[in-house]
Amino acid sequence: MDVPSAPPLPAQETASGRKLTLRARFRRLRRSYTFRIVVSGLITIWAVTTFTFFLIRQMPGSPVEVKIDELMTRQSLTYEEAYRAAATIFNFDPDRPVLLQYADFWGDLLQGDLGNSITKGGVTVGSIILRYLPWTLFSVGLALLISFSGGILIGLAMGYWRGSWFDNIMTTFASILSGLPDYILALLIIVVFGVQLRWFDIGSVRGGVDPTITPGLTLEYISSVLKFAFMPILVYVLASIGTWILSMKSSTLSTLGEDYVTVAKARGLPERRILSAYVGRNAMLPLVTRLAISVGLVVGGAVIIEEMFQYPGLGRNLLVAINSRDYTTMQGIFLVITISVVFANIFADFVIGWLDPRVRMGAGDSNS
Amino acid sequence: MTYDRDHVVLSVRDLSVTYKAERGLVQAVSHASFDLHAGETLALIGESGCGKTTLNLALIRQLPKTASTFGDGIFYTYRDGRQINVLELNDRDMRRFLWSECAMVFQGALNSLNPVIRVRDVVFETARAHGMKREEAYKRALKLLEQVRLDAERVMRSYPHELSGGMRQRVLLALSLILRPQVVIMDEPTTAVDILTQRSILDVLKQLRDELNFSVIFISHDLAVAAEIADTVATMYAGEIVERGPVNEVFYRSRHAYTLNLLNAAPRLSVGVERLESIAGKPPDLIEPPTGCKFHERCSFATAVCAQVQPPLVEYEGGHLAACHETGRVLIEARETRLVSAP
Repeated sequence: MDVPSAPPLPAQETASGRKLTLRARFRRLRRSYTFRIVVSGLITIWAVTTFTFFLIRQMPGSPVEVKIDELMTRQSLTYEEAYRAAATIFNFDPDRPVLLQYADFWGDLLQGDLGNSITKGGVTVGSIILRYLPWTLFSVGLALLISFSGGILIGLAMGYWRGSWFDNIMTTFASILSGLPDYILALLIIVVFGVQLRWFDIGSVRGGVDPTITPGLTLEYISSVLKFAFMPILVYVLASIGTWILSMKSSTLSTLGEDYVTVAKARGLPERRILSAYVGRNAMLPLVTRLAISVGLVVGGAVIIEEMFQYPGLGRNLLVAINSRDYTTMQGIFLVITISVVFANIFADFVIGWLDPRVRMGAGDSNS
Repeated sequence: MTYDRDHVVLSVRDLSVTYKAERGLVQAVSHASFDLHAGETLALIGESGCGKTTLNLALIRQLPKTASTFGDGIFYTYRDGRQINVLELNDRDMRRFLWSECAMVFQGALNSLNPVIRVRDVVFETARAHGMKREEAYKRALKLLEQVRLDAERVMRSYPHELSGGMRQRVLLALSLILRPQVVIMDEPTTAVDILTQRSILDVLKQLRDELNFSVIFISHDLAVAAEIADTVATMYAGEIVERGPVNEVFYRSRHAYTLNLLNAAPRLSVGVERLESIAGKPPDLIEPPTGCKFHERCSFATAVCAQVQPPLVEYEGGHLAACHETGRVLIEARETRLVSAP
């Protein structure tokens, strides 16, 4: 500040300076990784939502027609009577143009309102999601966690001790499991453990928890929740662990051939260190991406299992909504699925960056 | 280059390695014997697939499971004079022996470092595995990295992918010396890098060797590099050490036909390009090796005896050993062709 000259000049400079910083800030924002990730995520969510919005309306039969059919066969009403009855039950006008419905949908959504269920009078889609999502997150999330970590450990051991009896037995086992679809496994488990061995009373473990127990953080409640979730989780784990095991084994085998593993052995590192920091960590990198996809599909990923065990998850509700053409509920659940897939992918990017410095964002400052 | 001729660090006696293959046993190394003295640099030369790398992996027992090693032994003398047979060490002692007594710089520096671990952590884990203090290891690594002319602080903080090929090679060289081993095996440490990096690595290696006085087993295709760095040269052919001796003896007064052929196949500045000759034929099948001298099918000196009787390794003057029936004729030709460029 050695030139305290004319006062208007610095004022002008500040104005143009601020303008420049704003533009520079905007440019920096556009270049920022987080910003780009968020924008591309939002675009994905919008595109998928729009696509499903129009697509589900292309399915044969509208909710009203499905209900009219049902009323006509069940209560033997005439078409007109059934139409009037259905129209009063549903908060839905099938004659409203689809584009206007689309506008309504976004208008409500931007206010955080997912609308009312078409078929269940007076129930909001939001409340359905809030009520059933936790069960799905709990059961499928836990199952995925068990399946992934178990698969990684077993696959790693199999690859590291290739050709051992453990490897041979588990390879057969994992191949069979990865070939069996989940509904066959569910049936097998119901028939073997429920019907023949009677380890479980199939009739009583329907639902998410014993309804006679009051909810709360009591041992009784938690053990009941675990007991009811046991079989869906078991089926999910068995149905998915085979693939994890086999992928991890092949990934481990290719990592074992890397030079740095040989060098680590020649450096006299303990086997434990080589197994974890050298083989395990590098071998699991490609699997983390696949885990992200699975995490994203947790919400809608266990429809059949939930249906077979009558588990009160979101997947079952999706199935019911599809059958009754409950457009709003379907939209809501699809939105949740889309958001979770997008978030899981963003999360996976960060996890992989943390595990693998080579793909770390802004590689320039990894030195700091 | 001088070394202590009375102090043998590593003594290999009658070492053989076979690999199990579908067609039968591959005789990758047969009856190799040599001594490595304190401060000596031994260059192993020979064609690809002649068993150089196998021999060295056998010394540190890092061969794949399909290989089996046998022989009288690999005798190693510690600094305190204690002698052990490496082949008889148990797993725990073997792990401790590795790197702290005998380190190896592998072929292919690009992939020799774990991509997800910083150089610093490689230093720490190596120190921890051998009971050295973190601070001491860090200090020593800094000094070595500086000696190999790297920006030590920055390299310590780096992940392997942030370093160039030449830098990684020098990191490995520094890393191999961190526990002060008596023997360092270098498997073609300069093949994957450009000529300038090769130059600087060789200079650094010579300087470190003079300073720290370790012995080196140097594997190379590049005869010029071998000639520059080695005290002793051993030629391998089809898994056998066929000639061994001081570098000038082997290079200028070759006594084995194969060594002579190998040298004549390498370009020299002092001799015209037209004199460059490649060795006829292919390396022999190691599952059913030829009878007699394994080189006789490709050898221009071969006689009827060569096809039937395997030549013994005979010692000549100047500590020069060769296994060749026609060593006299080879030596005459070597004098004619090689001494043109003698120092």
